[in-house]
Amino acid sequence: MKQSRASLMLTAAVSAFIFAGSAFAQTLTIGVRGGPESLDPHFSALGTHAEAAKHIFDTLVWSGDNLQLEPGLAESWKSLDATTWEFRLRRGVKFHDGSDFTAEDVKFSIERVPLVSGPTTTTIYVRRVKEVVIVDPHTLHIRTDGPAATLPYDFVRLFIVSAKAAKDFSTKETSAAGFNSGKAAVGTGPYKLVSWEPKGDLVLDRHDAYWRGKSHWSRVVRKEMANDSSRLAALKAGQVDLINYVSAADWVALKRDPKIATFVGDSVYVMNLQLDQREPTPKVYDLQGNALAKNPLRDPRVREAFDLAIDRQAMVEVVLEGLGKPARQLMPEGFFGSSTRIAWPKHDARRARQLLAEAGYPNGFKIDLHCTNDRLPGDGAICQGLGQMFSQVGIQTNVNAISRTVYFPAQARKEYSVFMNGWGTLTGEASYTLGSLAHSMDKEVNMGAFNRIEYKNPDVDKAMQEGARTLDDTKRRALFEKAMELTVADRAYIPVVVLQTVWAGAKDKVIIAPRTDEDTLAYFVKPAK
Amino acid sequence: MLGFVIGRCLQALVVMLVMSLVVFTGVYAIGNPLDILIPPEAPQDIREATIARFGLDRPIWEQYLYFLLNVLQGDFGRSFIYNMPVLTLILSRLPATLELALAAVLGATLIGVPLGIYAGYRPTSVAARLIMGLSILGFSVPTFWVGLILILAFAVSLGWLPAGGRGPTVLLFGVPWSFTSLEGLSHLLLPALNLSLFKLAMMIRLARAGTREIILTDTVKFARAAGISEATILRRHVLKLISIPIVTVFGLEFGSTLAFAVVTETIFSWPGLGKLIIDSITSLDRPVMVAYLILIAALFVTINLLVDISYAALDPRLRGGRGA
Repeated sequence: MKQSRASLMLTAAVSAFIFAGSAFAQTLTIGVRGGPESLDPHFSALGTHAEAAKHIFDTLVWSGDNLQLEPGLAESWKSLDATTWEFRLRRGVKFHDGSDFTAEDVKFSIERVPLVSGPTTTTIYVRRVKEVVIVDPHTLHIRTDGPAATLPYDFVRLFIVSAKAAKDFSTKETSAAGFNSGKAAVGTGPYKLVSWEPKGDLVLDRHDAYWRGKSHWSRVVRKEMANDSSRLAALKAGQVDLINYVSAADWVALKRDPKIATFVGDSVYVMNLQLDQREPTPKVYDLQGNALAKNPLRDPRVREAFDLAIDRQAMVEVVLEGLGKPARQLMPEGFFGSSTRIAWPKHDARRARQLLAEAGYPNGFKIDLHCTNDRLPGDGAICQGLGQMFSQVGIQTNVNAISRTVYFPAQARKEYSVFMNGWGTLTGEASYTLGSLAHSMDKEVNMGAFNRIEYKNPDVDKAMQEGARTLDDTKRRALFEKAMELTVADRAYIPVVVLQTVWAGAKDKVIIAPRTDEDTLAYFVKPAK
Repeated sequence: MLGFVIGRCLQALVVMLVMSLVVFTGVYAIGNPLDILIPPEAPQDIREATIARFGLDRPIWEQYLYFLLNVLQGDFGRSFIYNMPVLTLILSRLPATLELALAAVLGATLIGVPLGIYAGYRPTSVAARLIMGLSILGFSVPTFWVGLILILAFAVSLGWLPAGGRGPTVLLFGVPWSFTSLEGLSHLLLPALNLSLFKLAMMIRLARAGTREIILTDTVKFARAAGISEATILRRHVLKLISIPIVTVFGLEFGSTLAFAVVTETIFSWPGLGKLIIDSITSLDRPVMVAYLILIAALFVTINLLVDISYAALDPRLRGGRGA
């Protein structure tokens, strides 16, 4: 009897130790792949940085689950004339320290960005702003350096900090210390900062006076776990309630686990194949490995052959284990400026070979295909798949799936001829993507900075420039759709697949609605009941 | 002795200088770090302004000289990624790694040496064979696999220990440590075990080989003839005589564990230096890479120096006279 009581107590003690984590039902623990780089929201434009900042701070304009614009700290906005936008601010919003949110804080935040921005520069969000004029405590006029139709889209990642708390922490030297210690990290967001260390845990407490209503979770802990297997193990061991970026292989296995729920969502990332349009191009050869007389990638028939060689269905089903969708344009379907008139690409290897023969390459040629293997889920595998598909139609492909640290600098030096990387349309509208990729590189109009294949179509350029000036949504949408159709038809950029993202959580505890920008936001994680 | 120390310090300076030059040119050869860091949608003017703001448009020799001048004033620069002074960043991660490395290396030594001595003392016994078999396993099984298996067994299936992360920390002499609480220890156990397996195997082999050799020497024969008990012989004579190689390996292993516990730290999400360096490499955070490798070079030189000094303490034959 005595013995059994002792063993009972031991069991109780052990189980108390194991379930210590779940005893606080209102604590949400999330295992995330990447975290913030600093708690100063204006330091970095990185996605994981903005994701963490959204827990503590708010933005004027909110981007919803599918990146549609919604009111945030601004209740409404409209353009008054070609170079002035008016923003009406929400009333009764409180900062974590109890002070009121006013136009002063917005002006301070906008002007602060260039002073503290790091290399992943946030100045892109305020580059069009020339002047901020406070009309009254809840009305602002923003003057731009020209017609800026996409200003509200720029503002979805412009975080508002407290002018009072951050006043003394707004230089490059002082910002990290002020925000990381919590002194300046005072926002209007759903949670208050408790503690953070780089690459470690971000601990947050509920902000009871949050304007959207207080969060279900009284405490949120975001643990940074870069390794996919470790994150999964932590979930299975009950150490965390929710994890992001579950790999395709793990997802297949997790679907059979009764205690785990998985959530699949479309991402903003489209894998694009890019074909260099320069003459000559460095990494295309004849079958003996010698330089060719002219760049075959400039021939539309050759580009069409590349397109027809790709079996997107097989790519999704075999390479990505079903976690993706075929792509027909350079951003996901339904985004502002995506077109429904573009035909779905077909796989036709016979026709591809025929086109190559017509273009004067009956036996094909040789290429080096470059891509990243550590940036997005499945990027290396998709690249291998493309290599095989090209080789089948006679384009002998040497696949180089390499680290992004090597890939992007070399791509910027224009050392590649045929290459693939993901592109995420993070604002949910086309000027973000086409303005950087499809417009020719042109310093005068400040577009085409990421156009590293020197693609140039005067009609696309014209549509994009006109679109950037057009404040009318319907007209602008039509211009962007046209630019998208023209770009895709030229096939210098060939969309391959849209990626999907997987979250996994404890089935009895959490439900999450996937966001297209892949953010994992504790406020929107619902308790499972 | 003083001359020896000064010589070693000069040597260290040269090593550190060469290291900084290698890392600097290495990163330069890969490309401009900002090509990874600048947001892809940034237009031309912002791109150029940002590169200029970080001085990365200057020729490489100018950047390097500027860096050296700052280091001479004790400033290693700021991390591109964290906007924190690099030294602060590295020092903030050091306690976690120090704790893990010490636990692993000390554990391996305290368990491995007695086992090794026993295996050398009774080489034909069943226990000795078992120990040697274990040590082969420790050598040959890859760390990351063992780590995953440990997590699978003790965290996922049995649920006895946490799957990763560091436990709550307590300030001790102004430094945050986690080994002071039971929960902290439970977080430390698996990663330390994972890291120590290889070292344990090495310690066993070293101690066994040393013991086998010493046990046949005249010292031991005379000690036995003088009627000293076996336990005392092992403790006082054998252990002392085999300790020189063990101290050397201890020092080197400790250094390399501190610097390169990357695999274990990644698998167990341990917030230490190894993760920091890997992350800074994948994001081309040059200031962190350069400072880290310079400091690691300094660390190894210091450890070697300490090991050399401890030789003299352990072996009277190496003391005095010959200057080093």
